[in-house]
Amino acid sequence: MKVITLFFIAFGLSVAMAQNKQVLYGLEEVPQALLTNPGGKMPAGQKAHFGIPLLSQIHVNGGASGVSVYDIFGESTVDINTRIQEKIFEMSEKDFFTATQQLELISFGWRGNNEIYYSGGVYQELDFISYFPRDLAILAWEGNADYIGYRFDLGQVSATADLLTVYHFGVNKKIGKRLTAGVRAKVYSSIFSASSTDNKGTFVTELGDENSENIYEHNIEGADFLLRTSGLTNSPTSSEVVGRAFLGGNLGVGLDMGATYEVTDRITASASVLDVGAIFHNKNVESFRAQGDYTLDGIELIFPPLNAGEGTFPYYDDLEDELEREIPVDTITSGYTEMRPLKLNAGATYSFGKFVGGQECDCLHKGQIERTQAVGLQYYSIFRPKGPQMAGTFFYYRRLWDFLSAKATYTVDSYSFSNVGIGAVVDLGKFIFYFAADNILSYGNLAKAKSVSLQLGFNIKIDEE
Amino acid sequence: MKKNLLIPALGVFVGLLLFSCIKDTDFDQAENVTLTPVVELDLIHFDVAANEFFDEVTNTARLRLVDTTEIRFLDDTEIQESLLRADFLFRFNNTIPREFAVNFQFISEEGEETYATATVVPAGTMTNPSTPPDFIEVVEGEEVLQLTGANRVVISVDIPSADASLEGNLNLQSKTTYYLEIKERD
Repeated sequence: MKVITLFFIAFGLSVAMAQNKQVLYGLEEVPQALLTNPGGKMPAGQKAHFGIPLLSQIHVNGGASGVSVYDIFGESTVDINTRIQEKIFEMSEKDFFTATQQLELISFGWRGNNEIYYSGGVYQELDFISYFPRDLAILAWEGNADYIGYRFDLGQVSATADLLTVYHFGVNKKIGKRLTAGVRAKVYSSIFSASSTDNKGTFVTELGDENSENIYEHNIEGADFLLRTSGLTNSPTSSEVVGRAFLGGNLGVGLDMGATYEVTDRITASASVLDVGAIFHNKNVESFRAQGDYTLDGIELIFPPLNAGEGTFPYYDDLEDELEREIPVDTITSGYTEMRPLKLNAGATYSFGKFVGGQECDCLHKGQIERTQAVGLQYYSIFRPKGPQMAGTFFYYRRLWDFLSAKATYTVDSYSFSNVGIGAVVDLGKFIFYFAADNILSYGNLAKAKSVSLQLGFNIKIDEE
Repeated sequence: MKKNLLIPALGVFVGLLLFSCIKDTDFDQAENVTLTPVVELDLIHFDVAANEFFDEVTNTARLRLVDTTEIRFLDDTEIQESLLRADFLFRFNNTIPREFAVNFQFISEEGEETYATATVVPAGTMTNPSTPPDFIEVVEGEEVLQLTGANRVVISVDIPSADASLEGNLNLQSKTTYYLEIKERD
């Protein structure tokens, strides 16, 4: 039951977050760390890896920056409507709800004779973000009566939703003694996509002056709304959806790049940029655009002289026609290009403690030195419709035994200042299991969490003999 | 020996899931969520010139002007369920030297009168317009159901007498304040 509740929170309630995988970033033992930095350092002895299909990486992430489930539904003597009202006014239009889910279908990698580590795979991704349209929420919650003269910003509506499959292949090579660099090419196959960002317009009810036709003037000013969709024009059959997942959808291309530099034996710096790319939507595209200005001042009666049985003017229809004329909704079927949300990662690590394996130079592994403990800082940022969302992380890493390493993180982000995460990698020779979860302090009561992120997976790796 | 540790590791993870929970919450409260917007909306307006009360072709007075408009949203199911109260405000300005009787009849789709109200506008002059206090009609309680049974309003304006020399205008501005209560209903 509680598990169901967890997934309810992860998938259902939380409209989802930033894809930050702060625990996984830099966790070299896990092959999927290459997806957070294609230029990550690869364990020297690793010859190949295979993800267990569908189980190699499961990632769910959900969050709301301004509000938790507990804020609204917590047991309290305060009426729920009072709490909702307080939250509406407390939150800003920059607050957001997000949900991300990734499922790796296939994952593999191997070390070539030229010491290049090749890796590739396929994963499916669902990504959703909606900003909080504060003014519209106030209008819906309170109406316009107390807001005569207040300009409601209709442009606060901003949301995107994407379901896609990603095919990727990357290379990673140690260049010289200190630098490791990598790139990864990606092909996106969009199953469906919908986005409405960069909207504009205001709605204001103003008291009329002596020249006004009526008591109020209800004005929509400078409205410019655009909703783009692809893959939603019909109800696709399941075989169509599968077809789109397998490169039959709207395609796009992208690139990940990254590098790790060992500044000294103890200090390592790394950075990556992910999803530099775009999807070109040209199949099953349907977009809607509404633009214009409109003033409503009620219905003007003309009192036309009528003979018996004659009807008067269709005032109400005329009003609706006028609205449609002034703010027409155009349907557009031409294609559009959608940028992928760009992500940046950077990290600095200071290693200390004993050497792994107890020797200073693991000569078998070409001089690579591994220590058992590390601390460091990480930076993460994702570019969203209203600007980047950032997170800073402090971490402590420890290799407890050969078969178990763990990483603990403390993250400050849009959601909270108290996000503690943990991750562990269990390395049983050929078999690696990992999990990473953040906001673990909230697992005691997930209702109080503003975001939850979870990754886990099973992989097989083959080391050099 | 090593492999046995998979079980504890999985145990920790599963434990994390199992011991995570949602506490001290009451999702039944969702049933109590109630939106109570108060909406100000213009209703009708007109500006009738005095000569409209006299037909120059037939040289006879037209002692009653009538017009009708739909207010289509009024009998929507959502409005019928949610409307608690409606305050109508009618503001007249009369420069015609005649007193007017103005009737507002709310008519259902079937053509039956469901609600009606009326007011009188005193005579005015071009130099000294008659601006009676705002005529406010508050509809609440049982009467709301009568009001929301209608989807159009018929306005009639009665003048006691008129001739070709009559001058001035009768002007009406009006608005409605809708008090809504939107919640889950059984």
